[in-house]
Amino acid sequence: MQDVRSYVGTAGSSGVVEDARLLSAYTITATLWLLLTTAAGLLVSFKYSYPDLLTSPLLSFGRLRAIHTNGTFYGWASVAMVGCVMWVAARSSGVNIRAPRTAWFTLWMFNLAAVIGTIGLDAGMSNGSQEYREWIWPATLCFLIAVIASGVVVVRTVAARAGHEIYISNWYTIGAFCFTAILGVTAFLPWYQFGLGQVAVQAFYMHNAVGMWFTFLALGITYYALPKLLNRPIYSYGLGVLGFWTNLVFYPVIGAHHYEFSPLPWWFQTLAIVFSVGMLVPVWAGSGNFALTVRGRWGIVRRSYALPFIVVGVAYYFVGSTQGTVEAFRSLQAIWHLTNYTVGHSHATMYGFVTFIAWGGIYALLPRATGKEPSRVAAGMHFWFATVGVTVYVIVLSVAGTQQGVAWANGDPFIASVEAAAPLWLGRAVSGMMMFAAHVVFAYNVWRMTIAPDRAAAHGPIEVPA
Amino acid sequence: MKRRGMNDVAVLTASAFFVYLGFAIVMGVIPGMVLSATKPLHGVVPLTAQEARGRDVYVGEGCSYCHTQQVRPLEQDRVWGRPSARGDYAYATPQLLGTERTGPDLTNIGARQPSDVWHLIHLYQPRALVHGSIMPAYPWLFEAKNRTESGDVTVAVPAGYGPAGKTVVASQSALDLVAYLKSLKQAALPTAAPGR
Repeated sequence: MQDVRSYVGTAGSSGVVEDARLLSAYTITATLWLLLTTAAGLLVSFKYSYPDLLTSPLLSFGRLRAIHTNGTFYGWASVAMVGCVMWVAARSSGVNIRAPRTAWFTLWMFNLAAVIGTIGLDAGMSNGSQEYREWIWPATLCFLIAVIASGVVVVRTVAARAGHEIYISNWYTIGAFCFTAILGVTAFLPWYQFGLGQVAVQAFYMHNAVGMWFTFLALGITYYALPKLLNRPIYSYGLGVLGFWTNLVFYPVIGAHHYEFSPLPWWFQTLAIVFSVGMLVPVWAGSGNFALTVRGRWGIVRRSYALPFIVVGVAYYFVGSTQGTVEAFRSLQAIWHLTNYTVGHSHATMYGFVTFIAWGGIYALLPRATGKEPSRVAAGMHFWFATVGVTVYVIVLSVAGTQQGVAWANGDPFIASVEAAAPLWLGRAVSGMMMFAAHVVFAYNVWRMTIAPDRAAAHGPIEVPA
Repeated sequence: MKRRGMNDVAVLTASAFFVYLGFAIVMGVIPGMVLSATKPLHGVVPLTAQEARGRDVYVGEGCSYCHTQQVRPLEQDRVWGRPSARGDYAYATPQLLGTERTGPDLTNIGARQPSDVWHLIHLYQPRALVHGSIMPAYPWLFEAKNRTESGDVTVAVPAGYGPAGKTVVASQSALDLVAYLKSLKQAALPTAAPGR
């Protein structure tokens, strides 16, 4: 097998090994959170069709739902992508990860946050049912420390780079740490958030967590992994810069579109809708840039196990985010608001986009770091289960949400909206099983890429017959 | 080597940090502070201690993931009451407006279902009262006893939905939660004074 150093081409070999161990550890713990919290999501999805299934406080719908959303956000996607962006910062800067001890500390803090938050929620301790910030404050505090500490690692690594330019990936990832540190403090301090004021902060927080943290990390990974895997430069550096600034300027304003028709000031909601349209600029700049980078290289995509994940992730970035713009219009929110349509949309973006990019990033980077390849058959199964699963999931919930909204608009008795969506909820549970199966296969591949015995080494050097 | 502009990592970090800090203040902190100072509507009162404990149960069990507490100024929301006003939420911290309406809106549930008996049976087993309901049952807010004691609030669970040969008794948490649900009533909007 090739020496690890030949994959990454950096100076100190011990530093590269340390970097590889960090990437492995981040990926392994993130994968454990993925398995646990999507198992919770799967159980919750069955409770729609079988509400008396496993009735127990520790396995109840209201507690597991928050465990699923927070755990997938902060235990899985955050940890997986932070591991990747540290590696990206080092490789794109031609150095090793600076402050590796801080990077290890960060990993512990991320996981401590997820443990405290998850146990708290299961015990019925929630930070006020505020979506995506339900973890109790000790968990949030650990998470915030982890965000700031990992930001320090990435900034120090980029500051130590060999070349002149800061590669565009690092713009996005350094941005993500800055934004999320501020966002976290804004959401965390309770002393100015009461009643409707808390609604306004919640609107700001819940959408910015998605758009200023996960989106920026995922775009940073894509700007590195896509050109690397295709072995050609990104189509346009300028479009990347345009996307960075427009995302930064438009995204913070759109949160209130989650509270259309609420008592929040009407102009505040209108402003959010207008800027939701503005979001087409960074979304189309980014996804167009990626599409033009792939153009003409589909043969490479077909032969790669990592690229299909990134291609689907980019496709869902385009489709899911454009959908977000369209559904922000009042005429459509009047039907779709408060229905399952929103849940379908959130899975198109947080799963179809963010999670697929995280997978693509891991498949792109981890084998180069450890020198251990995943099973190609398993990677293919992972890809197809997840792609078909999430696509069916989104379609089924979009139809269910439309049925609910139309039933309400018709003035039917409320239970009619439950009955209309019921068969589709069963479809959602089935597609959820496909997605969960994909996660199990992915976990096997993570094992293959990290702690599994080295197959190439196990076969030994090829004996040349005398 | 001199690195200038956005290729200086300090400039890049500071630009991202301060631009977003401005947005966080303008779009998050200031709206939060201004709207937190909203005055209550006439007739909107703080929760009692018991109702506030009930709200903690509501939060901990995640009721707001399926039940909204906001009536929109839309035709289809008229069944839930008048459109919600800002002053309705003056004492509603944590806010529980919700983002999904898998179950009915609860803004006015205290007026729609004023009965303790109904709420207790419904929390113990929703399907005992509403055929086709998919709401979770909350038996852990109750106790199945062989023999009741004085002071026990018994729940008349219909036959076939409760434990055979035992009496279902409401826990303090269940009673608190019902007190909170019954407190959810819209205050009447002020109308023009008579004679004008």
